[in-house]
This record gives sequence, structure tokens and C-alpha cells, in this order.
Amino acid sequence: MAAQMILINTAFFFSLAGLLAFSAAYVFEKPGLTAAAGWALGAAWLALTAGLGAMWAASGHPPLSTQYESLLTLLWFVFPLSFYFRRRTARPEIAPAAAITACLLFGAAALLDRTARPLMPALRSNWLIVHVLSSMAAYAAFALAAAAAGWTLAKQRAEASDDFLLRLTKTGFAFLSLGIITGSVWAETAWGSWWSWDPKETWSLLTWLAYAAALHLRKKGLRGHKFAILLAVCFALVLFTYFGVNFLLSGMHSYG
Amino acid sequence: MVRAISSLYLFFALCALMGTAFVYQTLFNKGLPIYGSPWFAVLGLALAANILACSLRRARAASAHFLLLHAGLIVIIAGAFAAPFCRFEAQLPLRAGEASDMAQAGQTSYRLPFSVKLENFSLEYYSRPFGRLILEENGSRREFDAKEGLTLSTAAGDSIKVLRLTHDFGLTSRGEVVEKSPYWLNPAVQVEITAGVKKKKLWFFSNFPGMHDGDFPFGLSYSLEGAEIRDFASSVTITGAGGSMTRAQIAVNRPLRFGGYTLYQTSYDPADAAYSLLTVTRDSGLWLVYAGFIIFLAGVCLWLLK
Repeated sequence: MAAQMILINTAFFFSLAGLLAFSAAYVFEKPGLTAAAGWALGAAWLALTAGLGAMWAASGHPPLSTQYESLLTLLWFVFPLSFYFRRRTARPEIAPAAAITACLLFGAAALLDRTARPLMPALRSNWLIVHVLSSMAAYAAFALAAAAAGWTLAKQRAEASDDFLLRLTKTGFAFLSLGIITGSVWAETAWGSWWSWDPKETWSLLTWLAYAAALHLRKKGLRGHKFAILLAVCFALVLFTYFGVNFLLSGMHSYG
Repeated sequence: MVRAISSLYLFFALCALMGTAFVYQTLFNKGLPIYGSPWFAVLGLALAANILACSLRRARAASAHFLLLHAGLIVIIAGAFAAPFCRFEAQLPLRAGEASDMAQAGQTSYRLPFSVKLENFSLEYYSRPFGRLILEENGSRREFDAKEGLTLSTAAGDSIKVLRLTHDFGLTSRGEVVEKSPYWLNPAVQVEITAGVKKKKLWFFSNFPGMHDGDFPFGLSYSLEGAEIRDFASSVTITGAGGSMTRAQIAVNRPLRFGGYTLYQTSYDPADAAYSLLTVTRDSGLWLVYAGFIIFLAGVCLWLLK
């Protein structure tokens, strides 16, 4: 437990260092700090990977069953997604967006119950891995899209980032679709019903509809800062689906 | 007409209406769920019609991913609407040693074309659970692993001796204490409390902390630790119409398919180790939903590769 906490706190420290370096590079106009911030995010990802690995080794199951574990997994996806999109799109705002997202999510994780528990019978399935990983990858992409939208709005560069925000949203939408579908197939295997209108299912579908509408609105001509604002609004639904449903509504997903 | 039905504005309006319905249902509705109401079905049908009309209107010029994504959605919605006509679902309550072919859905009973006999129901724990005695007095709290023969002393000089531990406390008609099952369903500890020359034997229950009949200057309770359940399963023998017998085990995430039906391990009774609840389903429309999933995911892959 101590080793896991040291590694996860180290990841948080590097994320915070990255965010401070990005902020300093922007405020003091020192582009050299941007590279250092990128390295800090890389170090944060490595530390988080080691921390999750230690959690897996200690508990004997992938760290995907509690909200704390799944949030760390969500965080794990933030880094490679930002590295990939930074490389593919050359948009500079993705890296500071990743640093903001990581710091906020590490902060949220610190508020959650860290007690590791054995897997309950319903979760002892290989579907857990594919369902939770795809859902967390989707939430990570949406979080990055919302943070990047916020960053571009703050810097009044939303027009230039429009295509990049679309790519992130498409990635999140694809993973969310996969998460919902694998969840349905798993539910059929475990409970005998592929759709039960459980609050988490319902809110996931609502989130999916919101992003589907956002993507269609963009196709219809909604661009720039309006699209960026829409992504921030849609992300509020992600937050409610992920946190709100667990804390406020009871259902079959109450454990994580 | 097709133009109006295929309108993107209609799609946005339907998304907004559905979203509002979901928010109402999950946050405010205290009555019957809206999902079975006719207006919600109309909303679903309208969404399917909108997607279908949009796909048909653009079919000639549309890309493969557009067609697959929209076709997948239509097939999934069609599968959802087919469910009430193609799907059978009922509960099959079973008791150890007894066979039943009567499944229940609400107030209605259905006779299955096979009977299911529960040979055994088993609970599997991650590790062997153990009980802890918690002694609270003068604002302090002390915990002890409960073992037969353990003797505790209180600050006032009283003594508490553990006489007997049970996993699943039960009483016979003659008032004798027995283990009802090998599982930790109703753990209890019997202690003898000695205060001066007075001695009193009492049972303390983990599930019912206030049930003991004693009044002491200290607090004593019994709790169960390490009782996390790893799995629960029913060993069954299924006898088909021709007299054929099949033995199998049904567990959570490991349903049994037999004669076109699927049997799921749904629940058990923590107060009755001989009881198991199975769910029996038969869904001839499920393939439609899965086909929709595959078509949609194929569309997603092509869409991302674009």
C-alpha cells in the first residue's frame, strides 16, 4: 500500500510540476519550459503506470473495480492520449490541457475511498477489463477535449483548434460506444438482460446522445468557440454519469 | 415528408426530449418507470424513423461508415422493440433437494419444458472469515479475535469469557443452538459475563447488534471480518422432456444454456443457505441486437480510420 501511494503521489507531483512549467512558459513567454513540462508529464505517466501495476499485484485483480481505481485508470489514459494527439495534430494546447486534467483528477482521487476490496462475484469476469477500460478511455478523451476547449477559449484560439477538438471528441465517442456495447454484452452474460435502464446505463446513453448531437451540430456548421463551449457542457454530463450517478442514485453500478 | 422526418433538427429535438425523459426518470420520477409507457415507445420509434429516413435520403452518396453507423443503430432499436415479443424472462426459486419446472414472472407462473433440481448451493469466500469482539468502556475501544476460551477483563473488574462461536446461528424446536449451514450467514458468539458473584450467559449477534438481553457498564459487540464472498453457485440437475438428465453448475457470469433457454444465477437468501434464485430467459431476438452492435462497431472503426 505504501509503495502504491508513493508512486501515485509521485505521479501527482510530476503532473503538478508539468502544469506549473506550462503556466510559467505561457506567463513569462519562455518556450523552453514547455519541453520540460512535457518530460514531467511523461514521468507522471510512468509513475502512475508503476502505481497501478503495484495495485494490481497487491490486490490480485486489475485496478478497475472501485471508483478510486477506475479514476486512476481514467487518469492513466489522459497521458498517452495527449502524447498521441500532440504528435498527430501538433496542437500545443493538448499538453497543458492534459496537465490541468491530470491535476484535477488526482485531486478528485484524493477525496475518494482508497480501500482495496476483493472483487464481488458480479465483477469476476474478463468483460470487466474491456468494459471499464473502454469507458475510462472515453472519459479521458472527453476530459481532454473539455480541458483543451477551456484552454483555447481562454486564449481565444478556439477557431484554430476546432479540428483537433473534433478528433478528440470522435475518439471519446468511439470508446464510449464500445464501453456501452461491451457493458450490454456483459450484462446479458451476468444478469440475463442486455439493457436494464440502470441509472448508470441511462446516463451513459444520455451522454452518448449529447455527444452524438454535438458531432451532428458540428457537421451542421457549429464551429470555433461555440463548439468548444458545447464540449464543456457535454463534459458536465460525463461528470454526472461518472461521479453523480454513483453518489446520488442507487443501481447495479453502485460499487464503482 | 421524408425530408421532414430525416431532418437533423428533428434529431436534435428527439435527443433533447429523450434526455429530458432520462433526467426526469432517474432524478424525479417516483412512480412507474417511463420506459414502458406508450409515449416513450413513440419517442424511440421516432428516433429510429429519423435515423432510417436520414440514411435512405443520403444512401447513394453516403460513405460506408455513415451507412454502417446508422444501420447499426436502426437494427439495435429494432432489437429493443422486438424484445417484448421475442423475450421470455422469469424467476425460478429453488430449494436444495427439490426440483421445479414452475417459473414465475410477476403474478404469472410458467411451466418450463424441463425441470431443475437444486442439488447444492454453495458460497465461496475469499478467505476464512473470523469474528471480532469489540469492548467499549470509558471512551476507549478494544478489539479481540473471538476464540472459544478467550477471557477479557473490564476496567471495573468484570470478566467476559467466550463460550461458543457459531457461523450460522439457529435454534431447534427444543431450544438447542445449532449451525444452520456451513456459511457465515448469522454469526454469533456466546459469552459468560461475570460481575462479582453474578454470572450471565448471553448470545451476541453480528447481524443484530442490539439483540442480546443485557445491561452492562461497558459496550460489547460482535462483528464479522473477512467475509467477502468470492462467488456463489448452484449445482443443478436438469431433466428434459424425454427424461434426459444434465448436471451443471450455474454461477454469476457463468450461465447455463439448455434447450434454447438460459439459466442465470441471480440471488440467494442470506438467511437460508438452502435457497437459490435463478433467472430463466429465452430471447429469440437477441441476435438482432448483437448484429446491430457488430454493424455499428464496424461503422465506428471505418469512421475513425477516415
